[in-house]
Amino acid sequence: MAHRLSIVALLALSGSLVGVSSPLETDGTSRSRVDGPRSGDWVGPARFVNISKLPKTVEVSLTASVVTLSLMPGVKSEVFAYNGQTPGPTLDVREGDHVIVHFKNDLPEPTTVHWHGIHLPFDSDGSPYHPIAPGATHEYEFTVPAGTAGTYWYHPHPDHRTGFAIGKGLYGGIIVRSADDPLPASMPEKFLILSDNRFLQDGALDFPHPQSHHGIADESNGREGNVMFVNGEVMPTIAIRSGEVQRWRVVNASAGRIYRLSLSGHTFLHVGSDGGLFEKPIEVKEILLTTGERVELLVRGSDAPGAKSVLQTLPYDRYVPQTRPADWETTRDLLTLQTTNDAPVTPVTIPSSLRQITPLDTAKVTAVRTVVFSQGLINGKTMDMARVDVSTKVGATEIWEIENVVGMDHPFHLHGFQFQVLDRDGVPEKYRAWKDMLNIPKHSTARIIVRYDDFPGKWMFHCHILDHEDHGMMGVLEVK
Amino acid sequence: MTRRPTHTSRYLKSFLPILVVVAACAAPAPSISSSGNMSVGQGSEAQIARGRFLAISSDCGGCHGGGANPAAAEWLNGRRRPEQLQAFKVGPFLTRPRNLTPDNTTGLGRFSERQIFNALRFGLRPGETPDVEITSTTPGQGNFPLHPKYLAPPMPWPSWRHMPDQDLWAIAAYLKHGLKPVSHRVEDSEGPPDFWASEYTVEKIGPHPAVPFPTANEKGQR
Repeated sequence: MAHRLSIVALLALSGSLVGVSSPLETDGTSRSRVDGPRSGDWVGPARFVNISKLPKTVEVSLTASVVTLSLMPGVKSEVFAYNGQTPGPTLDVREGDHVIVHFKNDLPEPTTVHWHGIHLPFDSDGSPYHPIAPGATHEYEFTVPAGTAGTYWYHPHPDHRTGFAIGKGLYGGIIVRSADDPLPASMPEKFLILSDNRFLQDGALDFPHPQSHHGIADESNGREGNVMFVNGEVMPTIAIRSGEVQRWRVVNASAGRIYRLSLSGHTFLHVGSDGGLFEKPIEVKEILLTTGERVELLVRGSDAPGAKSVLQTLPYDRYVPQTRPADWETTRDLLTLQTTNDAPVTPVTIPSSLRQITPLDTAKVTAVRTVVFSQGLINGKTMDMARVDVSTKVGATEIWEIENVVGMDHPFHLHGFQFQVLDRDGVPEKYRAWKDMLNIPKHSTARIIVRYDDFPGKWMFHCHILDHEDHGMMGVLEVK
Repeated sequence: MTRRPTHTSRYLKSFLPILVVVAACAAPAPSISSSGNMSVGQGSEAQIARGRFLAISSDCGGCHGGGANPAAAEWLNGRRRPEQLQAFKVGPFLTRPRNLTPDNTTGLGRFSERQIFNALRFGLRPGETPDVEITSTTPGQGNFPLHPKYLAPPMPWPSWRHMPDQDLWAIAAYLKHGLKPVSHRVEDSEGPPDFWASEYTVEKIGPHPAVPFPTANEKGQR
């Protein structure tokens, strides 16, 4: 029986700065990087190199391959990487940009690249319908629609292997920027991708046999790790100046873990979700971030110069008792927020209104769908790519009633189209947002409204606990 | 007034001592079809009446609430009176009787009659077993799950599976169409992740159909 590395030993090795000074951020030429307006303050995984000289065009190369890296200092692990790094390069684009990705699969298995949350043509969605064979190449091409500024991510979505491929290291972030962002451009921005992993004593990533004790627990819970990563690093430090306000974009790239984020001594201003900014900021003590979901947070440097705070994930009981981990009540540290010794600055003014979100029109609804989540099943079925579960037309507006009828949370994800939440267990949603992820807690119901704009195709909807998705907790929405 | 389910201790004893947890599979048994398609529609009056009789006389209410009295406030909705056991201790594990009323999110409302039939005939948890006709008890064959997820003891499905098809369909019809939905959430049972597969081998629970009469314990006709 393999032994697992001690978390204490790992924490002792930690303490680096997030995502800075990667050798991959530039390619040694004078070609321009895809930089946002805030490149001087950038903290996050290194960004793509844009090889296009055309206006409003972002053209990048992306290769998935097997590499040996130190995910933890001093420990070598064989991982899957995008362009040699995990997380992969960050795609930083603007609304209206035309994006071309020259993708090459150097993995020993088929893969895809799913542009999670982006509204794009079916054949660029990177769903299991479009696998890319080992050694093959594919060009993903899409135009980023207006009004979709927000935080997204990309990851593989091959049939039955998504959890394994993401767990091996294939995930990266996407920022879509708008020309008229209401938040001050001077605000430092941090891009934080959360993940967890598990290691064997020899440094190999721990993917147990499916019928072993751990394998059965992984299938039920989604594979959880005991080592927490932010941008692929253990317990990194973010610097903040007293009085400064930072904009954090946070992605949950874990297979099963739902984060309950808390920053000691601070509240967050929750300003956005999957599909971009809310209409106004909401002050919260903690954030529940389900798998695949994103948030935008404003973090205020309210500590005195030199003080430290810790971003943690608090216990959250999403489990059935049969497989609830023995250590589920552990609070886990994610990163240190280190207030610098610089003199405090005056905080910037945060606008009270961020943007208008037009509600989708319930009067135009032409169908109400019922989607029943049980354990590993949707409407009593497992996934069949040859079957269409929901059939509809381009432009139609529909309500989906998503019911979780079992004692475990299941996060709902719809490909291709952002939706709005109407109510949860009959309680009207307090604020409007564009979403592509929605946690459906145990024994509860949510109603969403969606309009299938622009793109026909066969779109997946599924539980975003990756092990559930891989075992068939997924359906097909055909838009004609 | 306390009413303790009379059969409970018997079922508990049958599962003690508990349990070597191994990934065992149910052994092959004669091929049994869940066809007959009595599940269509809302259930006839006669079918629901038959299901009600079976639910009362099989003591569903002894564990799931209400005892033998369909007029009781707890009738099959998973509520147990404060003086009753709230969960059955099975070895180191706890089993909590489910809400069997057709409430969508807390009961059986979103499970099909076929999933309920498959629970009673094969012991398969309706929330984790696809809504398909099962024609084998060999894992991976005839739609029997490769890795079956079983109801926890003391649910006496190994006995009740011997009811004729039409009786199991009648119970399913009664639960789905003869009861009013009651919203009552019961926390899941606690047990090993293999969901009792090692307990439900043919060596331990016998085959279905039962071996022909007479066995060594029985007197044949002379």
